Amino acid sequence: MATVQVSEAEKVYILHGIRDDLRVDGRGCEDYRHMEIETDVVSNTDGSAKVTLGHTAVLVGIKAEIGKPRPLVPNEGYLEFFVDCSANATPEFEGRGGEELGTELSNTLYKVFNNKHSVDLKSLCICPGEHCWVLYVDVLLLQCDGNLYDAISVAIKAALFNTKIPRVHISTDEEGGKEIELSDDPYDCMRLNVENVPCIVTLCKVGHRHVVDATLQEKACSVASLIISVTHKGTVTCTRKVGGGSLDPESIFEMTEAGKRVGKALHAPLMKVLQQEEHLGKKKQKVGFLG
Amino acid sequence: MLKSKTFVKKTRSGGVMKVVREHYLRDDIWCGSEACTECKQESTVLQTDACIESSLCSYPHYLIPDTNVVLHQIDVLEDAVIRNVIILQTVLQEVRHRSAPVYKRLKDIIHEKEKHFYTFTNEHHRETFIEREPGETANDRNDRAIRVAAKWYSQHLKTSESDTDGLKVVLLTNDQGNKQKAEESGLLVYKFEEYIKSLTANPELVDHLALSNDNKNEITSSKVLFPEHLPLSRIQAGIKSGSFVQGTFRASRDNYLEATVFIQGEGEDSTEILIQGLQNLNRAVHQDVVAVQLLPRSQWVAPSSVVLQDEGAAKDDNVEEEEEEKALRISAAEAARKATGKVVGIIKRNWRPFCGMLNVSQIKESTRHLFTPADRRIPRIRIETRQATTLAGQRIMVSIDGWPKDSRYPNGHFVRSLGGAGEKDTEQEVLLLEHDVPHQAFSQAVLSFLPKMPWAITPEDMVRREDLRHLTVCSVDPPGCTDIDDALHCRELENGNLEVGVHIADVSHFIRPGNALDKEAANRGTTVYLCGKRIDMVPELLSSNLCSLRSNVERLAFSCIWEMNHEAEILKTRFTKSVINSKASLTYAEAQMRIDDTNKNDDITKSLRGLNKLAKILKRQRIEKGALTLSSLEVRFHMDSETHDPIDLQTKELMETNSMVEEFMLLANISVAQKIYDEFQECALLRKHPAPPPSNYDILLKAAKSKDVAIHTDTAKALADSLDGAKVDGFPYFNTLLRILATRCMMQAVYFCSGMDNDFHHYGLASPIYTHFTSPIRRYADIIAHRLLAVAIGADSTYPDLMDKHKQSALCNNLNYRHKMAQYAQRASVAFHTQLFFKSRGILNEEGFVLFVRKNAIIVLIPKFGLEGTVFFDSKDKVTPSIVFDEEGPALTVEQHTFRIFDKVKVTISLDASNIQHQKIRMALTDPVIPGVSVPVPDAEPQAKKPKLDR
Repeated sequence: MATVQVSEAEKVYILHGIRDDLRVDGRGCEDYRHMEIETDVVSNTDGSAKVTLGHTAVLVGIKAEIGKPRPLVPNEGYLEFFVDCSANATPEFEGRGGEELGTELSNTLYKVFNNKHSVDLKSLCICPGEHCWVLYVDVLLLQCDGNLYDAISVAIKAALFNTKIPRVHISTDEEGGKEIELSDDPYDCMRLNVENVPCIVTLCKVGHRHVVDATLQEKACSVASLIISVTHKGTVTCTRKVGGGSLDPESIFEMTEAGKRVGKALHAPLMKVLQQEEHLGKKKQKVGFLG
Repeated sequence: MLKSKTFVKKTRSGGVMKVVREHYLRDDIWCGSEACTECKQESTVLQTDACIESSLCSYPHYLIPDTNVVLHQIDVLEDAVIRNVIILQTVLQEVRHRSAPVYKRLKDIIHEKEKHFYTFTNEHHRETFIEREPGETANDRNDRAIRVAAKWYSQHLKTSESDTDGLKVVLLTNDQGNKQKAEESGLLVYKFEEYIKSLTANPELVDHLALSNDNKNEITSSKVLFPEHLPLSRIQAGIKSGSFVQGTFRASRDNYLEATVFIQGEGEDSTEILIQGLQNLNRAVHQDVVAVQLLPRSQWVAPSSVVLQDEGAAKDDNVEEEEEEKALRISAAEAARKATGKVVGIIKRNWRPFCGMLNVSQIKESTRHLFTPADRRIPRIRIETRQATTLAGQRIMVSIDGWPKDSRYPNGHFVRSLGGAGEKDTEQEVLLLEHDVPHQAFSQAVLSFLPKMPWAITPEDMVRREDLRHLTVCSVDPPGCTDIDDALHCRELENGNLEVGVHIADVSHFIRPGNALDKEAANRGTTVYLCGKRIDMVPELLSSNLCSLRSNVERLAFSCIWEMNHEAEILKTRFTKSVINSKASLTYAEAQMRIDDTNKNDDITKSLRGLNKLAKILKRQRIEKGALTLSSLEVRFHMDSETHDPIDLQTKELMETNSMVEEFMLLANISVAQKIYDEFQECALLRKHPAPPPSNYDILLKAAKSKDVAIHTDTAKALADSLDGAKVDGFPYFNTLLRILATRCMMQAVYFCSGMDNDFHHYGLASPIYTHFTSPIRRYADIIAHRLLAVAIGADSTYPDLMDKHKQSALCNNLNYRHKMAQYAQRASVAFHTQLFFKSRGILNEEGFVLFVRKNAIIVLIPKFGLEGTVFFDSKDKVTPSIVFDEEGPALTVEQHTFRIFDKVKVTISLDASNIQHQKIRMALTDPVIPGVSVPVPDAEPQAKKPKLDR
């Protein structure tokens, strides 16, 4: 992961600030940086979203393709994740530099999103045992300025919200042969229910306290962080500890509670913003990548 | 301004893909009208005084047809009266998508300056582009786009200039909903029929109107005659699951209630499915691609050998047919039954305009008439016309518009008249059209690639050429031949061996790959020789002048030179591009005379004698290897030099010199085939002649057995030997007849690309490899062989398509098709001239032989005229005599007399002009005499004319 060099004096400064619930950029410990969301930014995907969080920028595109369901769950579709750490984000990703991080991120995304509680996988089934929709979720890191997990999760939720899967129906002839038929109306499509899609809240243990949405400098002062995925109801669906340091049970508990609180508070405005944008329809002013 | 168009499509593998196209809108697309001052256009297409005399629109107006109008009424749009039409891009694209032939015709109209057709790219115009809205179908969107564009035009023309007295646009549509919406938005809109009928000055246009669905009810009874066709989606599903098969529908020439569907299989294993009965044929027309469902084995039938023609007046009650169909279902031997099926759906119609004639309806005022196509495989078509009286007796072209399930006949409309039936020009045009022979004059684009005259050989031409001008080369061809593509020479070398050269016109020097001239030649594929007319593959300047190896001029050639010993063994083979100067252009007869005339001893004669000697040896060797000498009667007409009417005909006779030239051509072809195959294993263009399957010989074996002659068909050699030995005492013509039959058993020789096949054998010539090299002026395959050989010897450069085996394979398919059609056209031309000949002769009485025996007829060959005809024993207007058909014989017993193959009979020959639809040679039996069947011998009166004609 992209790192910055922080001197001892700076570290002390950051640490002391956090202790007093005042961070370098003026935020409190449970505050996010400024976040911007735009959906439907890549026209040749079925759903896409771009999220900037501080200087962190991620782009998520979702492609729906027809595939074969997994044998164990014949009546469900599934999601595939791929995280591309572009060398645009930071020079460290050049060559194969971003591969490890990419794998780590996508593994976490599988845990968080690819289950029937987060996404209604049954709705992705076209024909049990034969055809289902596979959603390829491609994450592209455009810029790294800390807290990738949260930004990615928000972008995925927004992209899933934006996803329009072409409606198909199965026609059967008398011999039982099945044929997938595609509606020729491009507006005739299926939307996903994203209500239960969780968001990830990363809590960084800095000194004795923990902060959300850590910047790179704050991250450098932290020894360990906890990744918590939280639904809109405040249910924790997944936790993971990252970083080399250890966390005592008490602070884990505290961090989980904080994560739930923050996560719950994150969902409501997110959904509101997404719905607002959706209502604009074609009148929406496109910002894109140059805005 | 950028918009993007998004649509979802299904991929071949069954996936779903979202496709996004960028779509740019512009504001510099002009309206194309002369009256417009606003648009900054350089030239205009649409006229200010756009007047078509119409009772509906008295003001000048532009027409905007919608897609369906263009698709169905293209024949009307092509008419010279219809001018100043705006073709919207939306319409053009939809037409292109729906029908390639109509699209091509539309493009042709647009290019025609006189027609003033303007393409308006409304899809890219900033003000007329619309996006599809939710809940709108693609068609609705296009209709709206058309309306928006029409609206834009009407406003644009209004604002552009105040003094244009009411230049308006008129939208033409046949869609009720579209019309209504257009009216609501204040557009001038008419139905196409409405508008055309309003053209008071040109009532004949109404005939060109395609029949649309609304007036279908009047035409037919509401009785449903045919089963519904399945929708395409179900057909595709059925084909996938194997319950249906896809194939090309081939109607039977002899029996309108029977057809086969040809299913292309992998490589050689193609199959045929028999379809019998009107219901099972289910409105399929010859050459359509159809989906067929196999019937259960118990319902399989054998192909009937009954000859049935759909005759008589229009019949919508099918009582009569049921009887005819019954006639088909004669219980056949189990073995003879074939896979039988029924047509369940049409995958692709292959309708083209058909030539034929009108059966004028008996009811005088009726405007609906039946049209009988010249091709008997095409059903009769119902058309609507008011000019029936004018069109009767003319050859006309008609297009099919549709075939509703409650109509006995397809509906169509009149396209154009070709001229009076029976006139030579008309008939020639008909047979060229019917055989799909491209016969238009060469376009300017093609002619632009011809060398500039006066043409002379330049030093650059000589760089890679050998100078053979000093050799005594001569050509031997049929009399009157102007496209001489081969010449020969033979001389003794110092070492005592003989040098033999075959020099072929170097057409590939003039026709460079890929240009318009080359493409045109590739499309035409072959020169077509009709009686008294030649349809060239390449423009005349090349075929009769620059490429033709005429005597005493310098010509470029591609030479194949062998060194041979006196036993005709090839010691050395050499290919080179060359320059030759032929010393003489001889006819076969002249060459023969020179050889025979012992007093002549000039170089040319010596050369000919040498060639003749070698040719005899070559021929012997070839026959020893098992080459077949087959026979088919070819006739030549003696034409009257002024009227070009045939005045006499004789069967072509062959001289020694014919076979002399032939031998060396074969030798050159084989040598070249070997060379190009050695050099290009994957992409050599070769010609093969597959061995016929043993079952093909059944008829020959049966026929020979009836005369106690044994024929062995195991190998070509055995066949050739047994044919040689087949003789019956007192029946000298037997052998020829047998050879004619054997010819009918053979397969078609075809061109193919060596990389796509592994069986190269030429059965008829008994050669392991063969190609065509020696007639590049009249065959395109030879041009390819020339190019390959030129590359192989480093005399020319290659190009990508030459080395692409798939492209070459596609080319071969076209060449094979063109060759086949050219052959048919040639035969049809001979048949027509035979008819002309008999027309002037009245009734003749001739001797002939039974060639085939059918269930209700015998086919008789008249050796004197090389003419084949059918003698029917049952006819509708007469009492049918008792007929017993024995399939094993095969023999047909009529009353007391039994007919077998090879029986000698006497028949009268006359031209049956009673049926102008199909003038045909009618034969009637005179000997043996069978009461009620045979006819009396006519007077020998016509013979009296003969001395006059023999002048």
